[in-house]
Amino acid sequence: MSALPRCSSCFPRSASTRHGIILSRSLATEASAGPSTTPAQPTPAPSKAKIYETIRTAVILNRAPFLTRIPSRFERAFHAYQQRIQRALHNPFPYEFYFKQGSLLETKFQAEERRRERMMLGAPFGLAEAQTNAGTKAQSARESAVEALDREEEEIIPRISKADESNDVRSLDRKGERNLYLLLQKNSDDKQVWRFPEGQLQKGEVLHEAAERNLFAECGAGMDTWVVSRNPVGLYRHSSTGTPSPSHLFFYKAHIMAGQVRPNGTNVLDYAWLTKEEMEERLDKEYWVAVRDMLSDF
Amino acid sequence: MSAAPAVGRAAAPARHAFSLRPSRPPPKIRKPLKRGDKGLPIPRCKILIRDTHPSRMMDHYFNTLQDDLMYMTYVHESGPRKPPRQIRLKFDPEDPYTKNRANMPVGGSHVGREPAPVSSWDNVVRLERVQIHTMVKEAVSNRTNLLGPIMMLRAISGETEGGGGWRTSEGVQVVRGVKAIGGWLRPGVPIGAKVDLKGPKMYDFISTLTEFVLPRLREFSGFVMPASSQQNFTPSSVSGVVSLGLPPEAMGLFPQIEVNLDAYPATTGMHIHFITNAEGQGAQNKARALLSGCQVPFVRK
Repeated sequence: MSALPRCSSCFPRSASTRHGIILSRSLATEASAGPSTTPAQPTPAPSKAKIYETIRTAVILNRAPFLTRIPSRFERAFHAYQQRIQRALHNPFPYEFYFKQGSLLETKFQAEERRRERMMLGAPFGLAEAQTNAGTKAQSARESAVEALDREEEEIIPRISKADESNDVRSLDRKGERNLYLLLQKNSDDKQVWRFPEGQLQKGEVLHEAAERNLFAECGAGMDTWVVSRNPVGLYRHSSTGTPSPSHLFFYKAHIMAGQVRPNGTNVLDYAWLTKEEMEERLDKEYWVAVRDMLSDF
Repeated sequence: MSAAPAVGRAAAPARHAFSLRPSRPPPKIRKPLKRGDKGLPIPRCKILIRDTHPSRMMDHYFNTLQDDLMYMTYVHESGPRKPPRQIRLKFDPEDPYTKNRANMPVGGSHVGREPAPVSSWDNVVRLERVQIHTMVKEAVSNRTNLLGPIMMLRAISGETEGGGGWRTSEGVQVVRGVKAIGGWLRPGVPIGAKVDLKGPKMYDFISTLTEFVLPRLREFSGFVMPASSQQNFTPSSVSGVVSLGLPPEAMGLFPQIEVNLDAYPATTGMHIHFITNAEGQGAQNKARALLSGCQVPFVRK
Protein backbone atom coordinates (compact mmCIF):
# COMPACT_ATOMS: atom_id res chain seq x y z
CA MET A 1 0.00 0.00 0.00
CA SER A 2 1.22 3.46 -0.68
CA ALA A 3 2.71 5.79 1.83
CA LEU A 4 0.51 8.11 3.77
CA PRO A 5 0.31 11.74 2.81
CA ARG A 6 2.64 13.86 4.90
CA CYS A 7 2.07 17.21 6.51
CA SER A 8 4.56 19.73 7.74
CA SER A 9 4.51 18.37 11.28
CA CYS A 10 5.52 14.83 10.48
CA PHE A 11 8.35 14.96 8.05
CA PRO A 12 11.62 13.12 8.64
CA ARG A 13 14.30 15.77 8.75
CA SER A 14 16.89 14.00 6.63
CA ALA A 15 14.56 12.98 3.84
CA SER A 16 16.02 15.17 1.13
CA THR A 17 19.43 13.58 1.42
CA ARG A 18 18.00 10.16 2.03
CA HIS A 19 15.82 10.18 -1.05
CA GLY A 20 18.59 11.58 -3.17
CA ILE A 21 20.20 8.16 -3.21
CA ILE A 22 16.95 6.17 -2.99
CA LEU A 23 17.50 4.24 0.18
CA SER A 24 13.87 4.21 1.07
CA ARG A 25 11.69 2.16 -1.24
CA SER A 26 8.48 3.25 0.35
CA LEU A 27 7.70 6.12 -1.96
CA ALA A 28 7.48 6.31 -5.68
CA THR A 29 10.51 8.48 -6.15
CA GLU A 30 13.31 8.06 -8.58
CA ALA A 31 15.19 10.21 -11.02
CA SER A 32 13.02 10.26 -14.09
CA ALA A 33 14.34 8.79 -17.25
CA GLY A 34 13.28 10.18 -20.58
CA PRO A 35 10.87 8.27 -22.74
CA SER A 36 13.60 7.10 -25.07
CA THR A 37 15.73 5.20 -22.58
CA THR A 38 17.43 2.10 -23.82
CA PRO A 39 15.70 -1.09 -22.76
CA ALA A 40 18.45 -2.13 -20.39
CA GLN A 41 16.21 -4.23 -18.16
CA PRO A 42 15.26 -7.70 -19.23
CA THR A 43 11.77 -7.38 -20.62
CA PRO A 44 9.66 -10.51 -20.96
CA ALA A 45 10.26 -12.00 -24.37
CA PRO A 46 7.20 -12.29 -26.59
CA SER A 47 6.08 -15.85 -26.15
CA LYS A 48 4.48 -18.12 -28.71
CA ALA A 49 1.59 -18.96 -26.39
CA LYS A 50 -1.90 -18.92 -27.77
CA ILE A 51 -3.74 -15.70 -27.10
CA TYR A 52 -7.38 -14.86 -26.82
CA GLU A 53 -8.37 -12.25 -29.38
CA THR A 54 -11.29 -10.75 -27.53
CA ILE A 55 -10.07 -10.64 -23.93
CA ARG A 56 -7.60 -7.97 -22.87
CA THR A 57 -6.46 -6.65 -19.50
CA ALA A 58 -5.44 -3.12 -18.57
CA VAL A 59 -3.83 -1.76 -15.42
CA ILE A 60 -4.83 1.52 -13.82
CA LEU A 61 -1.49 2.35 -12.22
CA ASN A 62 -2.00 4.85 -9.45
CA ARG A 63 0.37 7.10 -7.58
CA ALA A 64 -1.43 7.90 -4.33
CA PRO A 65 -1.19 11.39 -2.82
CA PHE A 66 1.88 11.96 -0.66
CA LEU A 67 1.05 15.42 0.63
CA THR A 68 -1.87 16.35 2.82
CA ARG A 69 -4.64 18.27 1.19
CA ILE A 70 -4.72 22.02 1.78
CA PRO A 71 -7.95 22.68 3.64
CA SER A 72 -10.32 25.12 2.00
CA ARG A 73 -10.81 28.57 3.44
CA PHE A 74 -14.11 27.47 4.94
CA GLU A 75 -12.51 24.43 6.54
CA ARG A 76 -9.76 26.53 8.07
CA ALA A 77 -12.25 29.01 9.47
CA PHE A 78 -14.39 26.16 10.82
CA HIS A 79 -11.43 24.45 12.49
CA ALA A 80 -10.22 27.72 14.01
CA TYR A 81 -13.71 28.38 15.40
CA GLN A 82 -13.93 24.90 16.88
CA GLN A 83 -10.47 25.28 18.40
CA ARG A 84 -11.54 28.49 20.08
CA ILE A 85 -14.65 26.85 21.52
CA GLN A 86 -12.54 23.96 22.71
CA ARG A 87 -10.05 26.26 24.40
CA ALA A 88 -12.79 28.22 26.09
CA LEU A 89 -14.90 25.29 27.25
CA HIS A 90 -12.56 22.33 27.79
CA ASN A 91 -12.78 20.22 30.92
CA PRO A 92 -10.32 21.25 33.61
CA PHE A 93 -6.83 19.87 33.17
CA PRO A 94 -5.20 18.27 36.24
CA TYR A 95 -1.87 20.15 36.29
CA GLU A 96 -1.00 18.89 39.73
CA PHE A 97 -0.74 15.29 38.55
CA TYR A 98 1.28 15.86 35.42
CA PHE A 99 3.77 18.48 36.64
CA LYS A 100 5.86 18.83 39.76
CA GLN A 101 5.48 22.29 41.20
CA GLY A 102 8.19 24.69 40.05
CA SER A 103 9.71 22.22 37.60
CA LEU A 104 11.18 23.30 34.29
CA LEU A 105 8.53 21.36 32.46
CA GLU A 106 5.74 23.16 34.25
CA THR A 107 7.24 26.52 33.39
CA LYS A 108 7.54 25.56 29.77
CA PHE A 109 4.01 24.23 29.64
CA GLN A 110 2.57 27.38 31.21
CA ALA A 111 4.42 29.61 28.79
CA GLU A 112 3.21 27.60 25.83
CA GLU A 113 -0.30 27.49 27.20
CA ARG A 114 -0.38 31.27 27.59
CA ARG A 115 0.87 31.74 24.07
CA ARG A 116 -1.78 29.40 22.71
CA GLU A 117 -4.49 31.14 24.71
CA ARG A 118 -3.41 34.53 23.43
CA MET A 119 -3.34 33.29 19.86
CA MET A 120 -6.72 31.64 20.09
CA LEU A 121 -8.81 34.03 22.14
CA GLY A 122 -7.23 37.44 21.70
CA ALA A 123 -5.72 40.20 23.76
CA PRO A 124 -6.71 40.10 27.42
CA PHE A 125 -6.31 36.33 27.48
CA GLY A 126 -2.92 34.78 27.86
CA LEU A 127 -1.16 37.92 29.03
CA ALA A 128 1.29 37.39 31.86
CA GLU A 129 0.05 38.74 35.20
CA ALA A 130 1.23 42.22 36.19
CA GLN A 131 4.84 41.88 37.16
CA THR A 132 4.89 43.43 40.57
CA ASN A 133 7.05 41.18 42.63
CA ALA A 134 10.41 39.58 42.02
CA GLY A 135 8.88 36.10 41.81
CA THR A 136 7.01 36.67 38.58
CA LYS A 137 10.01 38.44 37.09
CA ALA A 138 12.17 35.43 37.81
CA GLN A 139 9.42 33.29 36.36
CA SER A 140 9.32 35.18 33.07
CA ALA A 141 13.12 35.16 32.83
CA ARG A 142 13.03 31.40 33.25
CA GLU A 143 10.35 31.09 30.58
CA SER A 144 12.31 33.09 28.04
CA ALA A 145 15.41 30.99 28.75
CA VAL A 146 13.40 27.82 28.19
CA GLU A 147 11.95 29.19 24.97
CA ALA A 148 15.38 30.09 23.68
CA LEU A 149 16.46 26.51 24.25
CA ASP A 150 13.55 25.15 22.27
CA ARG A 151 13.81 27.44 19.30
CA GLU A 152 15.03 25.39 16.39
CA GLU A 153 15.53 26.11 12.78
CA GLU A 154 13.25 23.98 10.67
CA GLU A 155 13.89 23.42 7.04
CA ILE A 156 10.79 23.47 4.90
CA ILE A 157 10.49 21.81 1.53
CA PRO A 158 8.02 23.60 -0.73
CA ARG A 159 4.75 21.89 -1.63
CA ILE A 160 5.30 22.80 -5.25
CA SER A 161 8.04 20.70 -6.79
CA LYS A 162 10.21 21.42 -9.80
CA ALA A 163 8.02 19.11 -11.84
CA ASP A 164 5.03 21.35 -11.09
CA GLU A 165 6.89 24.46 -12.14
CA SER A 166 8.03 22.98 -15.44
CA ASN A 167 4.76 21.04 -15.86
CA ASP A 168 6.69 17.82 -16.41
CA VAL A 169 3.94 15.22 -16.82
CA ARG A 170 6.44 12.36 -16.73
CA SER A 171 7.52 13.13 -13.19
CA LEU A 172 6.08 11.31 -10.18
CA ASP A 173 6.77 14.39 -8.08
CA ARG A 174 4.04 16.47 -9.62
CA LYS A 175 0.75 17.29 -7.88
CA GLY A 176 1.67 15.76 -4.53
CA GLU A 177 -1.80 16.03 -3.08
CA ARG A 178 -3.64 14.38 -5.97
CA ASN A 179 -4.05 10.84 -7.24
CA LEU A 180 -2.09 10.40 -10.46
CA TYR A 181 -2.64 7.71 -13.09
CA LEU A 182 -0.33 6.39 -15.78
CA LEU A 183 -1.28 6.79 -19.44
CA LEU A 184 0.81 5.50 -22.34
CA GLN A 185 0.85 6.90 -25.86
CA LYS A 186 0.71 4.21 -28.51
CA ASN A 187 0.38 3.76 -32.23
CA SER A 188 -2.95 2.36 -33.24
CA ASP A 189 -4.13 2.26 -36.88
CA ASP A 190 -1.73 5.04 -38.01
CA LYS A 191 -2.99 7.15 -35.15
CA GLN A 192 -1.46 8.02 -31.81
CA VAL A 193 -3.76 7.31 -28.91
CA TRP A 194 -3.43 7.51 -25.13
CA ARG A 195 -4.30 4.31 -23.29
CA PHE A 196 -3.73 2.59 -19.95
CA PRO A 197 -1.04 -0.12 -20.13
CA GLU A 198 -2.83 -3.11 -21.61
CA GLY A 199 -2.33 -6.38 -23.44
CA GLN A 200 -3.83 -9.67 -24.38
CA LEU A 201 -4.62 -12.75 -22.34
CA GLN A 202 -2.66 -15.90 -23.06
CA LYS A 203 -4.01 -19.39 -22.85
CA GLY A 204 -3.67 -20.96 -19.42
CA GLU A 205 -3.24 -17.61 -17.72
CA VAL A 206 -5.56 -15.95 -15.25
CA LEU A 207 -6.64 -12.36 -15.65
CA HIS A 208 -4.66 -10.73 -12.84
CA GLU A 209 -1.46 -12.48 -13.95
CA ALA A 210 -1.99 -11.26 -17.47
CA ALA A 211 -2.50 -7.73 -16.14
CA GLU A 212 0.81 -7.79 -14.29
CA ARG A 213 2.69 -9.35 -17.21
CA ASN A 214 1.35 -6.80 -19.67
CA LEU A 215 2.22 -3.94 -17.33
CA PHE A 216 5.86 -5.02 -17.17
CA ALA A 217 5.99 -5.76 -20.89
CA GLU A 218 4.95 -2.22 -21.75
CA CYS A 219 6.52 -0.20 -18.93
CA GLY A 220 9.72 -2.11 -18.22
CA ALA A 221 10.81 -3.84 -15.03
CA GLY A 222 12.17 -0.71 -13.36
CA MET A 223 9.10 -0.31 -11.19
CA ASP A 224 7.96 -1.62 -7.86
CA THR A 225 4.21 -2.12 -8.23
CA TRP A 226 1.42 -3.87 -6.42
CA VAL A 227 -1.78 -5.03 -8.10
CA VAL A 228 -4.46 -4.47 -5.49
CA SER A 229 -6.84 -7.34 -6.12
CA ARG A 230 -7.45 -10.43 -8.16
CA ASN A 231 -10.81 -9.06 -9.14
CA PRO A 232 -11.03 -6.63 -12.02
CA VAL A 233 -12.33 -3.19 -11.03
CA GLY A 234 -14.04 -2.52 -14.31
CA LEU A 235 -14.97 -3.79 -17.75
CA TYR A 236 -15.06 -2.01 -21.10
CA ARG A 237 -16.86 -3.79 -23.94
CA HIS A 238 -16.48 -2.46 -27.42
CA SER A 239 -16.82 -3.87 -30.91
CA SER A 240 -14.25 -2.76 -33.41
CA THR A 241 -14.95 -2.89 -37.14
CA GLY A 242 -14.24 -6.17 -38.84
CA THR A 243 -14.48 -8.42 -35.80
CA PRO A 244 -17.64 -10.40 -35.21
CA SER A 245 -17.56 -10.57 -31.40
CA PRO A 246 -17.11 -7.63 -29.05
CA SER A 247 -13.79 -7.22 -27.30
CA HIS A 248 -13.62 -7.22 -23.49
CA LEU A 249 -11.11 -5.09 -21.65
CA PHE A 250 -10.77 -5.80 -17.92
CA PHE A 251 -9.22 -3.13 -15.68
CA TYR A 252 -7.08 -3.80 -12.61
CA LYS A 253 -5.98 -1.27 -10.03
CA ALA A 254 -2.31 -1.12 -9.02
CA HIS A 255 -0.09 1.18 -6.99
CA ILE A 256 3.42 2.27 -7.82
CA MET A 257 5.76 2.12 -4.82
CA ALA A 258 9.11 2.98 -6.37
CA GLY A 259 10.80 3.30 -9.72
CA GLN A 260 9.63 4.83 -12.92
CA VAL A 261 8.24 3.79 -16.28
CA ARG A 262 10.87 2.87 -18.92
CA PRO A 263 9.01 2.38 -22.18
CA ASN A 264 10.65 0.04 -24.67
CA GLY A 265 10.41 2.61 -27.46
CA THR A 266 8.83 0.32 -30.03
CA ASN A 267 5.16 0.14 -29.22
CA VAL A 268 4.97 2.78 -26.50
CA LEU A 269 5.93 6.26 -27.62
CA ASP A 270 5.44 8.32 -24.51
CA TYR A 271 3.97 8.21 -21.02
CA ALA A 272 2.37 10.66 -18.62
CA TRP A 273 1.26 10.75 -14.98
CA LEU A 274 -2.04 12.60 -14.99
CA THR A 275 -4.90 13.58 -12.75
CA LYS A 276 -8.44 12.69 -13.66
CA GLU A 277 -9.23 16.05 -15.29
CA GLU A 278 -6.05 16.02 -17.34
CA MET A 279 -6.90 12.59 -18.71
CA GLU A 280 -10.17 13.68 -20.21
CA GLU A 281 -8.55 15.77 -22.92
CA ARG A 282 -6.18 12.98 -23.97
CA LEU A 283 -8.60 10.06 -24.11
CA ASP A 284 -11.23 9.64 -26.78
CA LYS A 285 -14.84 10.10 -25.74
CA GLU A 286 -15.99 6.49 -25.63
CA TYR A 287 -12.96 5.25 -23.71
CA TRP A 288 -13.19 8.15 -21.27
CA VAL A 289 -16.84 7.44 -20.49
CA ALA A 290 -15.93 3.81 -19.83
CA VAL A 291 -13.06 4.51 -17.44
CA ARG A 292 -13.96 7.75 -15.67
CA ASP A 293 -15.89 6.13 -12.82
CA MET A 294 -12.92 3.94 -11.90
CA LEU A 295 -10.76 6.98 -11.15
CA SER A 296 -10.59 9.00 -8.00
CA ASP A 297 -12.01 12.50 -8.23
CA PHE A 298 -9.47 13.82 -5.84
CA MET B 1 12.98 12.83 -10.53
CA SER B 2 14.56 15.87 -9.03
CA ALA B 3 17.38 15.61 -6.53
CA ALA B 4 15.28 16.96 -3.70
CA PRO B 5 11.89 15.37 -4.16
CA ALA B 6 8.92 16.99 -2.57
CA VAL B 7 8.16 13.97 -0.47
CA GLY B 8 7.36 14.90 3.01
CA ARG B 9 7.47 18.18 4.73
CA ALA B 10 5.33 20.60 2.95
CA ALA B 11 5.40 24.31 3.50
CA ALA B 12 2.38 25.75 5.23
CA PRO B 13 -0.09 27.24 2.78
CA ALA B 14 0.58 30.87 2.03
CA ARG B 15 -0.91 33.07 4.71
CA HIS B 16 -4.02 34.77 3.52
CA ALA B 17 -5.05 38.27 4.16
CA PHE B 18 -8.05 37.40 6.30
CA SER B 19 -7.71 36.50 9.94
CA LEU B 20 -9.37 33.51 11.54
CA ARG B 21 -9.80 35.45 14.76
CA PRO B 22 -12.43 38.18 14.88
CA SER B 23 -10.48 41.39 14.85
CA ARG B 24 -13.25 43.56 16.16
CA PRO B 25 -14.53 43.47 19.74
CA PRO B 26 -17.54 41.24 20.41
CA PRO B 27 -20.99 42.94 20.40
CA LYS B 28 -22.33 44.33 23.67
CA ILE B 29 -24.26 41.89 25.78
CA ARG B 30 -27.82 43.14 26.07
CA LYS B 31 -29.29 40.26 27.96
CA PRO B 32 -26.85 38.51 30.29
CA LEU B 33 -26.81 34.73 30.37
CA LYS B 34 -28.40 32.80 33.20
CA ARG B 35 -25.97 31.43 35.73
CA GLY B 36 -25.87 27.91 37.13
CA ASP B 37 -25.38 26.82 40.75
CA LYS B 38 -21.62 27.32 40.46
CA GLY B 39 -22.04 30.86 39.16
CA LEU B 40 -21.03 29.89 35.63
CA PRO B 41 -23.00 31.24 32.66
CA ILE B 42 -25.25 28.78 30.85
CA PRO B 43 -25.14 29.21 27.05
CA ARG B 44 -28.48 29.57 25.26
CA CYS B 45 -27.83 26.60 23.04
CA LYS B 46 -26.07 23.28 23.50
CA ILE B 47 -22.46 23.67 22.37
CA LEU B 48 -20.76 20.67 20.78
CA ILE B 49 -17.14 20.67 19.72
CA ARG B 50 -16.60 19.14 16.31
CA ASP B 51 -13.45 18.59 14.26
CA THR B 52 -10.68 20.95 15.30
CA HIS B 53 -8.13 19.97 12.67
CA PRO B 54 -7.85 17.89 9.49
CA SER B 55 -6.98 14.27 10.23
CA ARG B 56 -4.27 12.82 8.04
CA MET B 57 -4.95 9.15 8.68
CA MET B 58 -8.68 9.65 8.16
CA ASP B 59 -7.99 11.28 4.80
CA HIS B 60 -5.74 8.36 3.91
CA TYR B 61 -8.53 5.92 4.73
CA PHE B 62 -11.15 7.73 2.70
CA ASN B 63 -8.87 8.62 -0.24
CA THR B 64 -6.89 5.44 -0.72
CA LEU B 65 -7.60 2.62 1.70
CA GLN B 66 -11.34 2.37 1.32
CA ASP B 67 -11.18 1.83 -2.44
CA ASP B 68 -8.41 -0.73 -2.16
CA LEU B 69 -10.17 -2.63 0.60
CA MET B 70 -13.36 -2.75 -1.43
CA TYR B 71 -11.48 -4.29 -4.36
CA MET B 72 -9.55 -6.69 -2.13
CA THR B 73 -12.50 -8.00 -0.15
CA TYR B 74 -15.08 -8.07 -2.92
CA VAL B 75 -16.63 -11.47 -3.47
CA HIS B 76 -18.59 -11.87 -6.67
CA GLU B 77 -21.93 -13.64 -6.39
CA SER B 78 -24.09 -14.33 -9.39
CA GLY B 79 -27.68 -13.81 -8.38
CA PRO B 80 -29.30 -13.63 -4.96
CA ARG B 81 -28.27 -15.99 -2.19
CA LYS B 82 -30.16 -19.07 -1.23
CA PRO B 83 -32.15 -18.63 1.97
CA PRO B 84 -30.29 -20.04 4.99
CA ARG B 85 -30.97 -23.64 5.90
CA GLN B 86 -33.73 -23.98 8.48
CA ILE B 87 -32.33 -26.07 11.30
CA ARG B 88 -34.75 -27.66 13.71
CA LEU B 89 -34.59 -26.43 17.29
CA LYS B 90 -33.63 -28.89 19.97
CA PHE B 91 -36.98 -28.73 21.70
CA ASP B 92 -40.43 -28.22 20.26
CA PRO B 93 -41.25 -24.53 20.87
CA GLU B 94 -44.95 -25.38 21.23
CA ASP B 95 -44.31 -27.87 24.01
CA PRO B 96 -45.19 -26.24 27.35
CA TYR B 97 -42.98 -28.74 29.17
CA THR B 98 -39.76 -27.29 27.63
CA LYS B 99 -41.05 -23.72 27.41
CA ASN B 100 -38.36 -21.96 29.47
CA ARG B 101 -35.37 -24.02 28.43
CA ALA B 102 -32.63 -22.55 26.30
CA ASN B 103 -33.68 -23.72 22.86
CA MET B 104 -30.65 -23.98 20.56
CA PRO B 105 -30.66 -25.43 17.06
CA VAL B 106 -29.63 -29.08 17.01
CA GLY B 107 -25.90 -29.48 16.55
CA GLY B 108 -24.98 -26.49 18.64
CA SER B 109 -24.70 -22.78 18.00
CA HIS B 110 -24.21 -21.58 14.44
CA VAL B 111 -22.88 -18.16 15.38
CA GLY B 112 -19.46 -18.69 13.81
CA ARG B 113 -20.88 -20.21 10.64
CA GLU B 114 -22.73 -17.13 9.46
CA PRO B 115 -21.45 -16.14 6.01
CA ALA B 116 -20.16 -12.63 5.45
CA PRO B 117 -22.79 -10.22 4.14
CA VAL B 118 -22.96 -9.61 0.39
CA SER B 119 -20.15 -7.28 -0.68
CA SER B 120 -21.35 -3.83 -1.48
CA TRP B 121 -20.05 -0.28 -1.58
CA ASP B 122 -21.51 0.54 1.83
CA ASN B 123 -20.15 -2.37 3.86
CA VAL B 124 -16.49 -1.91 3.06
CA VAL B 125 -14.56 -2.62 6.25
CA ARG B 126 -14.13 0.52 8.36
CA LEU B 127 -13.09 1.27 11.91
CA GLU B 128 -15.95 1.98 14.28
CA ARG B 129 -13.94 2.56 17.44
CA VAL B 130 -10.73 1.75 19.19
CA GLN B 131 -10.73 0.67 22.80
CA ILE B 132 -7.62 0.94 24.93
CA HIS B 133 -7.67 -1.17 28.05
CA THR B 134 -5.23 -1.84 30.84
CA MET B 135 -5.43 -4.13 33.85
CA VAL B 136 -3.48 -3.29 36.98
CA LYS B 137 -3.18 -6.20 39.37
CA GLU B 138 -1.80 -4.02 42.15
CA ALA B 139 -5.06 -2.04 42.18
CA VAL B 140 -6.73 -4.90 44.06
CA SER B 141 -4.64 -4.27 47.16
CA ASN B 142 -4.49 -0.51 46.83
CA ARG B 143 -6.76 1.35 44.46
CA THR B 144 -4.48 4.39 44.23
CA ASN B 145 -2.23 2.25 42.04
CA LEU B 146 -4.83 2.83 39.35
CA LEU B 147 -4.24 6.56 39.23
CA GLY B 148 -1.10 6.37 37.08
CA PRO B 149 -2.68 4.19 34.37
CA ILE B 150 -5.82 6.35 34.34
CA MET B 151 -3.78 9.50 33.78
CA MET B 152 -1.71 7.69 31.18
CA LEU B 153 -4.82 6.73 29.20
CA ARG B 154 -6.09 10.26 29.53
CA ALA B 155 -2.83 11.65 28.18
CA ILE B 156 -2.81 9.23 25.25
CA SER B 157 -6.44 9.62 24.30
CA GLY B 158 -7.26 13.19 25.32
CA GLU B 159 -10.74 11.96 26.25
CA THR B 160 -12.66 13.31 29.23
CA GLU B 161 -16.11 12.56 30.53
CA GLY B 162 -18.61 14.60 28.56
CA GLY B 163 -15.68 16.18 26.73
CA GLY B 164 -16.61 18.63 23.97
CA GLY B 165 -20.20 18.67 25.23
CA TRP B 166 -20.79 15.17 23.89
CA ARG B 167 -23.03 13.06 26.09
CA THR B 168 -21.56 9.93 24.51
CA SER B 169 -17.99 10.82 25.40
CA GLU B 170 -17.30 8.72 28.47
CA GLY B 171 -13.66 9.53 29.07
CA VAL B 172 -11.43 7.10 30.91
CA GLN B 173 -13.56 4.58 32.78
CA VAL B 174 -12.61 2.41 35.70
CA VAL B 175 -13.13 -1.30 35.06
CA ARG B 176 -14.40 -3.24 38.05
CA GLY B 177 -14.35 -6.90 38.89
CA VAL B 178 -17.49 -8.77 37.86
CA LYS B 179 -17.04 -12.16 39.44
CA ALA B 180 -15.48 -13.26 42.69
CA ILE B 181 -12.22 -15.07 42.06
CA GLY B 182 -11.23 -17.08 45.13
CA GLY B 183 -9.03 -15.12 47.50
CA TRP B 184 -8.13 -12.44 44.99
CA LEU B 185 -10.93 -10.47 43.38
CA ARG B 186 -14.37 -9.50 44.56
CA PRO B 187 -17.19 -8.01 42.46
CA GLY B 188 -17.02 -4.23 42.28
CA VAL B 189 -13.32 -3.92 43.05
CA PRO B 190 -11.49 -1.57 40.62
CA ILE B 191 -9.05 -3.62 38.57
CA GLY B 192 -8.29 -1.61 35.44
CA ALA B 193 -9.09 1.32 33.21
CA LYS B 194 -10.33 1.67 29.65
CA VAL B 195 -11.12 4.39 27.16
CA ASP B 196 -13.04 4.41 23.88
CA LEU B 197 -11.86 6.44 20.91
CA LYS B 198 -13.98 7.37 17.92
CA GLY B 199 -13.73 9.64 14.91
CA PRO B 200 -10.66 11.80 14.20
CA LYS B 201 -9.16 11.11 17.64
CA MET B 202 -9.18 7.41 16.83
CA TYR B 203 -7.32 7.97 13.57
CA ASP B 204 -4.85 10.29 15.32
CA PHE B 205 -4.18 7.58 17.89
CA ILE B 206 -3.44 5.05 15.13
CA SER B 207 -1.04 7.39 13.41
CA THR B 208 0.76 8.06 16.70
CA LEU B 209 0.98 4.33 17.27
CA THR B 210 2.35 3.49 13.85
CA GLU B 211 4.74 6.41 13.54
CA PHE B 212 6.15 6.93 17.02
CA VAL B 213 5.64 3.76 19.02
CA LEU B 214 5.90 0.66 16.85
CA PRO B 215 8.99 1.71 14.83
CA ARG B 216 10.89 2.43 18.04
CA LEU B 217 9.99 -0.80 19.84
CA ARG B 218 13.02 -3.01 20.31
CA GLU B 219 13.08 -6.48 18.77
CA PHE B 220 9.63 -6.08 17.32
CA SER B 221 8.99 -7.22 13.79
CA GLY B 222 5.20 -7.19 13.89
CA PHE B 223 2.17 -8.57 15.65
CA VAL B 224 2.03 -12.32 15.27
CA MET B 225 -1.05 -13.60 13.48
CA PRO B 226 -2.63 -16.95 14.25
CA ALA B 227 -1.56 -19.82 12.00
CA SER B 228 -3.35 -19.99 8.67
CA SER B 229 -4.50 -23.49 9.56
CA GLN B 230 -6.62 -22.09 12.37
CA GLN B 231 -10.35 -22.67 12.02
CA ASN B 232 -12.08 -19.71 10.43
CA PHE B 233 -15.29 -19.96 12.42
CA THR B 234 -14.02 -19.27 15.91
CA PRO B 235 -15.88 -16.46 17.68
CA SER B 236 -12.86 -14.16 17.40
CA SER B 237 -12.34 -14.67 13.69
CA VAL B 238 -15.94 -13.85 12.79
CA SER B 239 -16.30 -10.78 15.00
CA GLY B 240 -14.25 -8.22 13.06
CA VAL B 241 -12.23 -7.18 16.12
CA VAL B 242 -8.44 -7.18 16.17
CA SER B 243 -6.81 -7.04 19.59
CA LEU B 244 -3.17 -6.17 20.06
CA GLY B 245 -1.09 -5.90 23.20
CA LEU B 246 1.69 -3.45 23.99
CA PRO B 247 4.36 -4.13 26.65
CA PRO B 248 5.09 -1.59 29.44
CA GLU B 249 8.22 -0.37 27.58
CA ALA B 250 6.05 0.76 24.67
CA MET B 251 4.09 3.19 26.82
CA GLY B 252 7.07 5.47 27.24
CA LEU B 253 7.30 5.80 23.46
CA PHE B 254 4.03 7.66 23.12
CA PRO B 255 5.04 11.32 22.73
CA GLN B 256 2.32 12.39 25.16
CA ILE B 257 3.89 10.24 27.88
CA GLU B 258 7.50 10.54 26.82
CA VAL B 259 7.44 14.27 27.54
CA ASN B 260 7.11 13.66 31.28
CA LEU B 261 7.62 10.00 31.91
CA ASP B 262 8.65 10.68 35.53
CA ALA B 263 5.11 11.74 36.40
CA TYR B 264 3.83 8.18 36.16
CA PRO B 265 4.67 6.08 39.20
CA ALA B 266 4.76 2.72 37.43
CA THR B 267 4.11 1.87 33.83
CA THR B 268 1.80 -0.89 32.69
CA GLY B 269 1.19 -2.28 29.24
CA MET B 270 -2.11 -2.05 27.45
CA HIS B 271 -4.46 -3.88 25.14
CA ILE B 272 -5.78 -2.15 22.06
CA HIS B 273 -8.97 -3.43 20.48
CA PHE B 274 -9.68 -2.24 16.95
CA ILE B 275 -13.41 -2.69 16.43
CA THR B 276 -14.58 -2.70 12.82
CA ASN B 277 -17.91 -3.15 11.09
CA ALA B 278 -16.82 -6.45 9.49
CA GLU B 279 -18.90 -9.49 10.40
CA GLY B 280 -19.35 -13.08 9.31
CA GLN B 281 -16.69 -15.47 8.12
CA GLY B 282 -13.34 -13.87 7.36
CA ALA B 283 -14.21 -10.70 9.29
CA GLN B 284 -11.02 -10.62 11.31
CA ASN B 285 -8.89 -10.96 8.19
CA LYS B 286 -10.65 -7.97 6.68
CA ALA B 287 -10.01 -5.99 9.85
CA ARG B 288 -6.32 -6.97 9.71
CA ALA B 289 -6.12 -5.87 6.09
CA LEU B 290 -7.51 -2.50 7.14
CA LEU B 291 -4.97 -2.15 9.95
CA SER B 292 -2.17 -3.26 7.69
CA GLY B 293 -3.15 -0.43 5.36
CA CYS B 294 -2.76 1.92 8.34
CA GLN B 295 0.82 0.59 8.58
CA VAL B 296 0.37 -1.68 11.59
CA PRO B 297 2.80 -4.56 10.89
CA PHE B 298 1.64 -8.20 11.07
CA VAL B 299 3.81 -11.29 10.74
CA ARG B 300 3.19 -15.00 10.46
CA LYS B 301 4.95 -17.16 13.01
